Amino acid sequence: MSSNHYFKHEGPWSDAGDPLMCTDTGDWRTKRPVVDKEKCIFCGFCAIYCPIQVMVMQSDTHFEANLDFCKGCGICAKECPKGAITMISEGEFVS
Amino acid sequence: MAEKKQGRLTKVLDYLKHDDPFSKGVAFCPGCGLELLLRFIPRVLGNDIVITGTPSCSAPVLLGQNNQSWHTLSYFGTLMTGAAANATGLVRYYRKAGIDNTVVCFNGDGTANDIGFGNLSGAAERNEPFIYICYDNEGYMNTGIQKSGTTPFGATTTTTPYGTVHRGKNLRRMNLGLKMAMNKIPYTATATLSDLEDLAKKLLKAKEAKERGFCFLHVFAPCPTGWGADPADTIEICRRAVKSNYFPLWEAENGRIRMTKTVKKPKPVDTYTKLMKKFNHMTEADMKILQDDVEYEYCLLGGLSVLEAECQLPVSVKDQGEAS
Ligand SMILES: Cc1ncc(C[n+]2csc(CCOP(=O)(O)OP(=O)(O)O)c2C)c(N)n1
Ligand code: SF4
Ligand code: SF4
Ligand code: SF4
Repeated sequence: MSSNHYFKHEGPWSDAGDPLMCTDTGDWRTKRPVVDKEKCIFCGFCAIYCPIQVMVMQSDTHFEANLDFCKGCGICAKECPKGAITMISEGEFVS
Repeated sequence: MAEKKQGRLTKVLDYLKHDDPFSKGVAFCPGCGLELLLRFIPRVLGNDIVITGTPSCSAPVLLGQNNQSWHTLSYFGTLMTGAAANATGLVRYYRKAGIDNTVVCFNGDGTANDIGFGNLSGAAERNEPFIYICYDNEGYMNTGIQKSGTTPFGATTTTTPYGTVHRGKNLRRMNLGLKMAMNKIPYTATATLSDLEDLAKKLLKAKEAKERGFCFLHVFAPCPTGWGADPADTIEICRRAVKSNYFPLWEAENGRIRMTKTVKKPKPVDTYTKLMKKFNHMTEADMKILQDDVEYEYCLLGGLSVLEAECQLPVSVKDQGEAS
């Protein structure tokens, strides 16, 4: 799981083999980034600036947020040079 | 069609050669500059770096909780008063044990500029071979947004409030990057998150330069929560900080300053300050003080970069120290 070979120096208390902690940060979101595939020019700016690095490449044509962890900060939408990302209130998606 | 699209991908992705060692859901506020920086460093430098740092906003994630972890890097948590001393111990141990690796001492501005400055200064004097990275969110964020030495003039924090008596911080911001460059260490640089290619290059340069000794990176990393900014503006804030010369990007090898980005027509500093609530109350006169200070610092930097090129740093003062 880990590519870190220095773990061998750590004590028996080391958790290096355990699964990592993970918070349901997707639950924090009040707005969701929605990508317009037609407008997207596949430049990757949304991906590099996303603090959580959850903008995932989709079959070499566009990017899409992993909504399990996206915190809805809106950086991707702001930084997209083509305005291809819209932040839409989560309320819209409640059925 | 797909191929045509591929050609336009940003070059920054080429620098992200390694995996992200962090779990996806970690406890940083939405839009936190620190989170982007923290994920970026091991993706550029590799996952075999050893990080050491102090109590701060980075610590809950780097240190983990109880005996569980948020990431797969090696991390050594230490005290605010001794971050660089701790890193010194680590590099010396690794050298004795014959392990070739990179130690990154990663701290907030409160540790680097204030509480842990003494031993940072000492590590620079002794030219200890590790990389010290200070993420500058201009205050003690983790304990509730208190002012630090790098909090700028006018900014409100919980210890420099705005009210009938006080109008935000009434002292100048200290220039931590320049202070470190003046120690003539092998490599000093400033960087920020709007220019990630520049940041990646500087990280790689630091990794190379640490073979010759101490390296210091001062990274401007906005804190939307503490600054009262829209989380979506984090990158725009960095960009405007650079474009107004509020946070100029430069590097210095052995103290020789070189601008890595020159802004042709610097924007007024209020183009930057208006994105945050912490500057909301500032009057025109206050803004003039901040503007003059920004211009003074920039002028000084420019002057030093010319002077350093003209004057000769006596060679090997440091090399002799190493040899003895
Ligand atoms: C010697 C000492 N003084 C005070 C504290 C309390 N403390 C814990 S975190 C923190 C803030 C650290 O600020 P900074 O290094 O700027 O990191 P940030 O929280 O901004 O990320 C402080 C003051 C401490 N841990 N040790
Ligand atoms: S920033 Fe915009 S145009 Fe660029 S890849 Fe992302 S969605 Fe597409
Ligand atoms: S909204 Fe923020 S967290 Fe979500 S994908 Fe965009 S940049 Fe990433
Ligand atoms: S308080 Fe600021 S620095 Fe700390 S996690 Fe939140 S946004 Fe980041």
